[in-house]
Amino acid sequence: MHSLFHRFLVLLAVSLSLLPAARGVPQNGGGSSTNPPQAKKLPTNVILNKGAWPSASDSVTPLPEGGRVTNNVYGNDYFGLTYALSPDWTESYAGPPPSDSGYYVLAQIKTADTFKGPDRGNGLITAQDMFFSLAPAGNALELINYSRDKLNAEYYKVEQAPAVVRIADHSFVRFDFVAPVSDLHWYVLATQIRCHEVQFVFTSRDTKLLDSLIQDLSKMKLPAEADLLSGMGGGEVPVCIKDYAQDENIVKKVDPFFSDRRFNPVPVRIIVDKEGKVKHIHFLRAFPEQAKAISDALEQWQFRPYLVDGKPVEVETGIMFGHAPRAPTPPRAAAISK
Amino acid sequence: MKTFRFASGLTLAALLFFPGMVFAQTSPDGVGGSASGGTPLPSGAAGDSGIAGVATPSSVPATCSTTPCDPGVRGGLINGQVGATATVPCALASVLGTNTCGQASQTPNPALDFFNNGLGRFQIVQTVDTLPNTGLGPRFNFNQCSACHSQPTIGGTGIANNPEFTAITKGIVSGADNTIPTFITVHGPTREARFPYFFDADGSPDPNKPNGGVEDLFTVSGLAGASSCSLQQPGFAGALATNDIIFRIPTPVFGAGLVENLDESTLIAVQTAEVGNAFGVSGTFNHNGNDGTIARFGWKAQNKSMLLFSGEAYNVEMGISNELFTQDRPLPGEDQLGTGLPAGCLNLSKTGYPEDVTNFTVTANSDQSAQNAEVPGDIVLFAEFMRLLAPPIPAPGVAGSSAAASIARGQTQFGTVGCATCHTMSIDSTQVSNVTSSLSNAAVGAFSDFEIHDMGVLLADNVSQGTAGGDQFRTAPLWGLGQRIFFLHDGRATDLLVVIKDHASNGSEGSTAEANFEALTPSQKQDVLNFLRSL
Repeated sequence: MHSLFHRFLVLLAVSLSLLPAARGVPQNGGGSSTNPPQAKKLPTNVILNKGAWPSASDSVTPLPEGGRVTNNVYGNDYFGLTYALSPDWTESYAGPPPSDSGYYVLAQIKTADTFKGPDRGNGLITAQDMFFSLAPAGNALELINYSRDKLNAEYYKVEQAPAVVRIADHSFVRFDFVAPVSDLHWYVLATQIRCHEVQFVFTSRDTKLLDSLIQDLSKMKLPAEADLLSGMGGGEVPVCIKDYAQDENIVKKVDPFFSDRRFNPVPVRIIVDKEGKVKHIHFLRAFPEQAKAISDALEQWQFRPYLVDGKPVEVETGIMFGHAPRAPTPPRAAAISK
Repeated sequence: MKTFRFASGLTLAALLFFPGMVFAQTSPDGVGGSASGGTPLPSGAAGDSGIAGVATPSSVPATCSTTPCDPGVRGGLINGQVGATATVPCALASVLGTNTCGQASQTPNPALDFFNNGLGRFQIVQTVDTLPNTGLGPRFNFNQCSACHSQPTIGGTGIANNPEFTAITKGIVSGADNTIPTFITVHGPTREARFPYFFDADGSPDPNKPNGGVEDLFTVSGLAGASSCSLQQPGFAGALATNDIIFRIPTPVFGAGLVENLDESTLIAVQTAEVGNAFGVSGTFNHNGNDGTIARFGWKAQNKSMLLFSGEAYNVEMGISNELFTQDRPLPGEDQLGTGLPAGCLNLSKTGYPEDVTNFTVTANSDQSAQNAEVPGDIVLFAEFMRLLAPPIPAPGVAGSSAAASIARGQTQFGTVGCATCHTMSIDSTQVSNVTSSLSNAAVGAFSDFEIHDMGVLLADNVSQGTAGGDQFRTAPLWGLGQRIFFLHDGRATDLLVVIKDHASNGSEGSTAEANFEALTPSQKQDVLNFLRSL
């Protein structure tokens, strides 16, 4: 009897000790009282719920968005680009993630607090993946011409129409415009690397400041392929070819199955190895479950090896999964004629 | 059955007695006075906004003479519309026909009957079980659409005197069973709350368990008709203590019918025209999960249509089931991780479900279209009312005045620095409408591209809706901005300079435009602010 009573007491104690855990904190947030002191706080000013976000099949292969400003030098291994910021310039905010139309804000820069000039300035380094551009443009020159055509004449006056220039021993297009109402000037310079339009945009009221930035661009290091019309990879990086993932180049293809979200565009860049297998996948913007479904499918794809001078080489191309807003623009001759 | 009879009377009274109240506060140029270039416009014409219940800055801060400042809520005509009052917004011109906004109907007009019926229902105070307007709760944010959508008139956004703060003192909820959450303040923004993440057992938010659903502020517990229902409010204190709470303010819906009637091809053309901009902007669209078409309403463009917007809000904000959302709504925790609402909290209206339905029988009325307007359920009439609301009209100032010159310069500055890349000033044009001719082939001067954009860490709310992620928001339409009090999705700001500043942060598409704005001279900045308050 005593033993039974003892057992009952022990059971009661255990039950009582478990009661709070069994109740837990209601999933709606713990009633109207404050949460227990051990509750952990979420960090502020952090994007935790990222939605569709860039990712890749490995963490070693360089990505366009992987560039960084270190010691006031912008370096980007994917583009083979090194650009030392001008004196008294500094990085401002990190850019947004790549868009689902293949647009990257690689870096944003501004005049530093130490800057003593009369008017401050800011700058952008961007890239547009020519595989996914919404504009009907096949290369960097056509894209800049498109920008010029879309320039709102109500706001801006063209100071220098798009013209080919040499910078750091590579061909660029330069396009200058001004907003007369504010006297703000924009200098835009673009070239093409790995089938991306890579663009520098500098803005200030002070044109001398902008001229000095252009001068400093000459010290920039670029890959050999960088060219306004024909920056299409090759050499140490894969050749890039728009719409290479066509039936005539594919031996085996398995379509991914999206169980949930189906209507957002999911742009994907892949590198196909010399044997025709998908070697690397870069999701410019995908939900994790979409990336998983696409990875599972692409791992099964088999391409015909791409041959240059009769020898297989690696090739980089883009595929739009999900809900593409429209049919992709046809590849332009200039972009594929290398 | 819900009826409109009581509200009809209120509306009629408003039409008859108050049409002149705003005219008395109207300045000739609609901007409240003159201003020289680059100087702030005076705020509301009479120190107040001239809008019922709305306090506005009574004087321009002294520093405004040398430093740019937000002129404050614009006085003058409500929504820039002759005849609009604080309780009577204007319908589209083709809906008014030969009638005049703010005056009782002179000629029969079926569309106007539906508009007025919807306006009336928008103002009905809902109850738990007092016929005919039953169904409130068991969880809800407020008991009347118009209480939250009232600035500068019905159909708008939150007013200065937050109605949610008065929920206990006015007997809308029981003070024995509810408290006013600390983030609801007397002159703060009208808000709904969401917990981005579910909580673990120790009260910690779990980033691996996304939530994001609305956590209604109040419960019906303790109200007449709800004796069987004992519910606690969500754990707001714990959520605040762990940073697991975000807020949203009501979106104004003036001109919503125009937005609803934009074809996909038109929106895509706007998106394509943005390519190659010099501002680091590249947005995308949110899509309706059912048919994949572009959604466009709500802070994250998560809703496809006015009807969906109405049905969801009726269910989520007021707890009223309807023909789109047919059950009473539990909290996300009760629903997805719990057992749903307690049995004692169901069917409190004693009408069965859905609580808002089509009215199969209505009272005979010699005015056939007025009788017809009684037939649809509330959500259909809400949607019709919002669809037929006229868009706000800007107040650009008297031609030739210094105020007009400043506003015009500001509009151009707004475009040049990059704001108009997303805040597209006007979209041409709507589809042919099968509703009313004002919605056909019309320009939509909403100052939005209706895309969702990454807005960076400073504005991120970590709530995903549809395909919009935690930092993506629809470009907020700016039409009517001049007479709004609270800004950004959570109402955190009342000063446009703060709003502009908050567009810049790590990960934001707005950073470069903000930097360009900062590059303007003080006088040029003031022009932009004057322009914005003219909208």
